[in-house]
Amino acid sequence: MLLRARFVVGLSAAALVLAGCAGGESSGGGSSSDSGGSSEGEASSADVCESADGDGPKIGLAYDVGGRGDQSFNDSAYAGLKQVVTDLDGTCTEAEAQNGEDEAAREERLRQLAEAGHETIVAVGFIYGASVYTVAPDYPEVNFGIIDGAPPEGVDLLPNVANIGFAANQGSFLVGAAAALTTESDTIGFVGGLDIPLIQDFELGYVAGAEEVNPDVEIESQYLSQDDAAAGFENPSGGNTTATGMYDKGADVVFHAAGKSGLGVFDAAVTAGEGNWAIGVDSDQYLTASPEQQPRILTSMLKRVDVGVIEYVTGVADAAEGGEAPNGFVTYDLASDGVGYATSGDFLSQDVLDQLEELKQQIIDGDIKVPSAFE
Amino acid sequence: MSTVAGASAPGAAGPPQPVGAAPRRSSPRSMLWVWLLLGLLALASARVLSGADDIDSPGTLGAALTLAIPIALAGLGGLWSERAGVVNIGLEGMMILGTLGAGYYTFHFGVWAGLLGAMAFGAIGGLLHGTATVVFGVDHIVSGVAINIIAAGAAAFLAEVFFSGLPGGGPTQSPALPNAPSFDVPILSGAASDLATKDWFVVSDAASVVAALTTDMSAFTLLALAAFAGTYWVLWHTPFGLRLRSCGESPTAAETLGVNVYRYKMIAVTASGALAGFAGCYLAVVASSGYANGQTGGRGYIGLAAMIFGNWRPGGLLTGSLLFGYTDAARLRSGGESVHALLLVVAAGLLVFALWQLRRARAAHAIGFAVAGGVVLFWFLAADTIPSDFTQMTPFVATLLVLALFSQRLRMPAADGQRYRRGEAG
Repeated sequence: MLLRARFVVGLSAAALVLAGCAGGESSGGGSSSDSGGSSEGEASSADVCESADGDGPKIGLAYDVGGRGDQSFNDSAYAGLKQVVTDLDGTCTEAEAQNGEDEAAREERLRQLAEAGHETIVAVGFIYGASVYTVAPDYPEVNFGIIDGAPPEGVDLLPNVANIGFAANQGSFLVGAAAALTTESDTIGFVGGLDIPLIQDFELGYVAGAEEVNPDVEIESQYLSQDDAAAGFENPSGGNTTATGMYDKGADVVFHAAGKSGLGVFDAAVTAGEGNWAIGVDSDQYLTASPEQQPRILTSMLKRVDVGVIEYVTGVADAAEGGEAPNGFVTYDLASDGVGYATSGDFLSQDVLDQLEELKQQIIDGDIKVPSAFE
Repeated sequence: MSTVAGASAPGAAGPPQPVGAAPRRSSPRSMLWVWLLLGLLALASARVLSGADDIDSPGTLGAALTLAIPIALAGLGGLWSERAGVVNIGLEGMMILGTLGAGYYTFHFGVWAGLLGAMAFGAIGGLLHGTATVVFGVDHIVSGVAINIIAAGAAAFLAEVFFSGLPGGGPTQSPALPNAPSFDVPILSGAASDLATKDWFVVSDAASVVAALTTDMSAFTLLALAAFAGTYWVLWHTPFGLRLRSCGESPTAAETLGVNVYRYKMIAVTASGALAGFAGCYLAVVASSGYANGQTGGRGYIGLAAMIFGNWRPGGLLTGSLLFGYTDAARLRSGGESVHALLLVVAAGLLVFALWQLRRARAAHAIGFAVAGGVVLFWFLAADTIPSDFTQMTPFVATLLVLALFSQRLRMPAADGQRYRRGEAG
């Protein structure tokens, strides 16, 4: 008992020390708290859920960890929410996730949103898969959309749940073509996070796109990990090592689908220097890259979470006037602008852009069939 | 490879003596060069025979060093702590604090302030562990695990406070950070790099090593290597080090001789935290270019394993880290191709080992190793590449293999992990 009491004392002492240090840091770091404050200020003045008071649909948005300000998924979801709430003259509520929270916390968040009378609830991130499928049967009148969602293994689809996906293979096809049209060495690279179908889909599209425009192109492909998500997606040093290996072997464009490990790919491109490029993923990574990295980011494969939110919420609203709300697996592709490529930095020449637009049209028309890891 | 040498020169690299055992050390040190040379020869042969040029290119060797240093520094932290008798499984957590400190201070005040900040953050973790284990007598494993959990949570929370809203930063990552200064050794670097591409047996391979060590050398890497030399000198060649190690071997005996055991243990664990913080800083600033949640990825634990691998000695620890870093770099850069070529090295090693066992009249062992070597050789000849499911295991398999082959007599500090109370000396 004594030992345990001492342990508790030790832990609380630890907590105190850390709390003290935290306080000291944030008050000491003038510049960080200043800029943090100003960005929050901007956000709240433009906060659509505070100001919207229309009598259209009530929309709930449950964020993934990080919430607004992550310059990626969550921000993109908010952009979509803002647009759709304005368009449909509705109201909305946002709910933030906590770091390291458990399944029960996510379920509770969804229940609160449902109890509060929201007709449409969008959960951002595959992490909500299990909790949505647990909660949704209790609220058959509420429509749930999960960005990147999928039912847990062994669970059937539900009529009021939509798994919102994006045709990553189509977007990757276009950046693959961009890479193959840009390369001088006829060698390009792909760095994947985890060797799973979700990521293989990027690789398949990328390879197909590159070979479509340049049959001679050689493609180096490498996954950071087979089964360890941290080693795959949160491993910038691994991404750096792998991409450096590719540049050393003559590749001059490397596309990554590896989350934060991709930051290491950008570093490798900076080290490789002039004439070498990296391609970002999910969001327009040129906009969030450091000034050093920016000149090396050729383009980014865009996964338009905002489009997903807008299309899904609009679909549900339309269904209210008769018809069926989107459910099951809903995929937004090039045709619905759910995926695309970024042009920030203007590194793609007009000639390349023209060819990409042509390819895009051919995919939309069905003249080109992009292979997928899900077939 | 001083620990490895112990197998072939019985008794030479035996258990570290509590009192600085200088005279017996010449043998393992000369053996180290022999082993390094043999390793280079094996790599060169494998490169020529398999055509996998990347297995010892300057790029791979440089990446190996970059990947090895964070593990080595974490292990060095563990060494300080365990030499004073405190098991430090909280290295991972202290490393996390280090990455966070590096992210915050480097962004605001530059790389050197970032290094100090990271070490200070790590040291806070170490101080915490010391307070819990030394002052309150908490079980070392319990406290260490608690620190890992607290550090991961605190870092995730503080990262949101520190980095949200900064340009290029976000709640889970810092903005891109400036890199530590790095330099090329003039003339030597260029000459060695040229030579390395010539494809000459052994000569080019040796040049690769020189090129890796003279090109784009980070100041932090040098500092880390200096920390190893410094640790060796302080712990084994000063009265302070002797007292510190005596706390890990027999604290009660140290106490009766007038050593303030609590103080030495606290100093050791705090230094341990600072070194783990340095490891985190290296990871955030040199190996990548910013803080990101979860980027330590268990390297603290691997550092601990490297320390055990190295028999609680700096040289062995560095060797273990380099082995791990090298195999990791090889598989990350060229995956199947490089790992496939390394099979040849493994097969050769096993067959040589079989011969050696035969000479020592251990027929059963010899046959076992010969069969294993034959199987690996067959695998090399039968396949052109290694499936990626296997390449990922390479660092772990390599470590296991070396441990299994060279049956070392590992000896941890005698009082490691035991609770010590003042005044209980009989």
